[in-house]
Amino acid sequence: MPENRIGVFLCHCGSNIAGVVDIQRVMEAIRALPDVILVEDYKYMCSKPGQQLLKDAIKKHNLTKIVIGSCSPRMHENTFRQALREAGHNPYLLEIANLREHDSWIHSDDPEAATEKAVDLVRMAVARARLLEPLEEPEVDIKKTSLVIGGGIAGISAALDLANAGFKVYLVEKEATIGGKMARHDKTFPTLDCASCILTPKMAEVGAHPNITLLTLADIEAVEGYVGNFKVTVRQKPRYVDTEKCTSCGDCAEVCPVDVPSEFDANLAYRRAIYIPFAQAVPSAYVLDMDNCLGVDAVRCGKCKTACEAGAIDYDDHERVLTLEVGTIIVATGFEVFDATQKPEYGYGEYPNVVNIMEIERMLSSAGPTGGHVVRPSDLKEPKRIVYIQCVGSRDERTNRYCSRICCMTSIKQARMLREKTGADIWLFYIDLRTFGKGYEEFYEATAEAGVTFVRGRVGEILQDDETKDLIVRGEDTLLGRPVVLEDIDLVVLATGMVPTASTSHVAHLLNLSLSPDGFLMEAHPKLRPVDSFNDGIFVAGTAQGPKDIPDTVAQAKAAAAGAMALMGKGRIKVEPYYSVVDEDKCAGCRVCISVCPYNAIFVNERGASEVNPALCKGCGTCTATCPSGAIRSQHYTDGQIAAMIHEYLSAQQ
Amino acid sequence: MDLRANFIRSPPGRCVTVTSVAEQPVIDIDNTDTEFVEMILRTGGPNIRNCFQCGTCSGSCPAGARTNYLVRAIIRKALLGLKDEVLSAPELWYCTTCYTCTDRCPQDVRPTDVIKAIRNIAVAEGYMLAPHQKVAHKVLEAGHAVPLDKESWQKLRERVGLEPVPPNASSHPEAIEEIRKIARKTGFDLLVKWEDK
Repeated sequence: MPENRIGVFLCHCGSNIAGVVDIQRVMEAIRALPDVILVEDYKYMCSKPGQQLLKDAIKKHNLTKIVIGSCSPRMHENTFRQALREAGHNPYLLEIANLREHDSWIHSDDPEAATEKAVDLVRMAVARARLLEPLEEPEVDIKKTSLVIGGGIAGISAALDLANAGFKVYLVEKEATIGGKMARHDKTFPTLDCASCILTPKMAEVGAHPNITLLTLADIEAVEGYVGNFKVTVRQKPRYVDTEKCTSCGDCAEVCPVDVPSEFDANLAYRRAIYIPFAQAVPSAYVLDMDNCLGVDAVRCGKCKTACEAGAIDYDDHERVLTLEVGTIIVATGFEVFDATQKPEYGYGEYPNVVNIMEIERMLSSAGPTGGHVVRPSDLKEPKRIVYIQCVGSRDERTNRYCSRICCMTSIKQARMLREKTGADIWLFYIDLRTFGKGYEEFYEATAEAGVTFVRGRVGEILQDDETKDLIVRGEDTLLGRPVVLEDIDLVVLATGMVPTASTSHVAHLLNLSLSPDGFLMEAHPKLRPVDSFNDGIFVAGTAQGPKDIPDTVAQAKAAAAGAMALMGKGRIKVEPYYSVVDEDKCAGCRVCISVCPYNAIFVNERGASEVNPALCKGCGTCTATCPSGAIRSQHYTDGQIAAMIHEYLSAQQ
Repeated sequence: MDLRANFIRSPPGRCVTVTSVAEQPVIDIDNTDTEFVEMILRTGGPNIRNCFQCGTCSGSCPAGARTNYLVRAIIRKALLGLKDEVLSAPELWYCTTCYTCTDRCPQDVRPTDVIKAIRNIAVAEGYMLAPHQKVAHKVLEAGHAVPLDKESWQKLRERVGLEPVPPNASSHPEAIEEIRKIARKTGFDLLVKWEDK
């Protein structure tokens, strides 16, 4: 091994470190250590002059290893590595002793002990520095194709941005059409422009875009590979209708004898077994629901095929399994509406005139089951007295702790539309009103002005008059400090919150993504990396990451697309060299490492030995610790380096 | 208080004049009884500090529907450490301990347990409703909260084929003495201000 010439640089960080730690004493203690050629200090090592000092010293003293006592490596490790590169040095011959977060900040009440600890930390860093090795950063190619999972407004926005920038996109959607939950909404707050008027042009653009391959009725089945080189298996269910030939004339549905509750219309209306979810669906084609079909032969039924003049119906259509090779993935799997039967005191599912906001949304839509009229489900009469209840399934320890963010504004919007359309008396019970977005507070005030009564309090229970199906609502007006009872209520609307879909956990499992405790996808950093996942090349967008409204969803989708473009535009990416390396001479092929690796980064090579894929390995060290024959070493965190630090700490100070 | 006394009645359509209003002192919320608050935090469940005063408890409360009993307000006052105000209010005794509020609280607070704990302190500090006191006296006098001390009840028992005096404390005066002994030992007699006649 060549001679070690170690340079130690101690940063004052203004008074952040030097105000607590006696830098001079640390310098004296370190100077005496073997191999330490140079000890310097500076007010701000991260500053331009600080970095210059480092670069000059490397050249002047011919330093081989660098130790910096400063803030956490999470802050400036990259800065100093870059300085090393600029000095013509391998950037991995650097060790940082964290004298700020691990020392001066937390021991500001005891400068004496903090100084001693600083000496220990720097001694340990020097011990490790002696054993550091130069490492090369492997480069991988990035395929210029993206996979977007989920065809709601998030997936649509991300796919269009990527496609318009010239990248190929596969958009995978599990339903028969794209459009997601936004397509089911009538109007959007706070502008009251109709949801489908602004959404359907985007849907049509997706359908026609030469760079977008749309796969509906499709699910992700398996994902292999790593950033830039993912191999995705997609299983696409048969549609039984050729989307190219189908003219959406509707002759098939006319003759179909089967009625099934329509999922798109929140089960408030019926569809046929062969149907189109809604008029502007993309792809604009019917779909045959084989689970509910009477039978495809002439004996049992087969009417639709006879009726189809275009010859688009193919009863022999079959499932397809596709393999896609993509460089980046955007997960936009959306949300589900909270199931209000979990709150029995509100009677949803038991009392016909207790409905949720999604059902009202369909009723408000002129293309919906009631032609735009909100009615009481029990007798289809127009409600004159309506109560809204906020936070159903949100802000509740028994269901979901989080705020769903959109229900306040959705309810206010619906209340205002109902008030203006029908003049109904409306009471809206809330705990806190969250009208945080641009123009939202103004919209709320205008709704109060329109005559909707806001009551501060959460409703305790709903009772029903079994004869008339009218409802009695009990709660407290907490601003008055008095219990209130509203009788003869025609309709109660529950502001049901957002919950994660089953698809989100399914996709998270396949892609090795983390979920927050609430079940939504976890972002890499809540502020600085809000659309990145912990896995390189995989991004999250929209309500799959957490409840949010349409503007925030679109913003996040466009950000995720930009993140994917930044990777694909460059075409190649350097991977950190903190991966594990297997010594094949020692490997017995027991495969224990494969079973413990959380990133599926290890495979058995043609020689029967374990091998680590550097692009997948995160350097966590689990395999290194597990290997019974000690055949695996974690680069940059070798057993020898860590043992040297412990040994140095435990040995008496010189 | 009846505010009507302060109005001068005018003929319909005329203005009504308020001549005086009842004065209410401001509430002192920075002079809290920390020991009392600690007790509330212990009994109210791990989330009681998160109570966002939504009113689900009082909106569900069968007692509160007919009285001025507000669970939410008691929890609020208790968390602010307004001990005297909470202990001295007769509403404290209106709770029927049906636990509906505990069942429905979205923050998983246990309001019923808080009410019961406050009642214990209230009694210890001398706040008690007269009927409750009377029931306690009945126990010490007859060994039962609802004793068989009427002749008509004895006749009723005979009519249905039971012995007139049941085989409980009513027919065992020595057992009543034991109950009194326990009461004296535990201080229950002093708590309910019972004097051995």
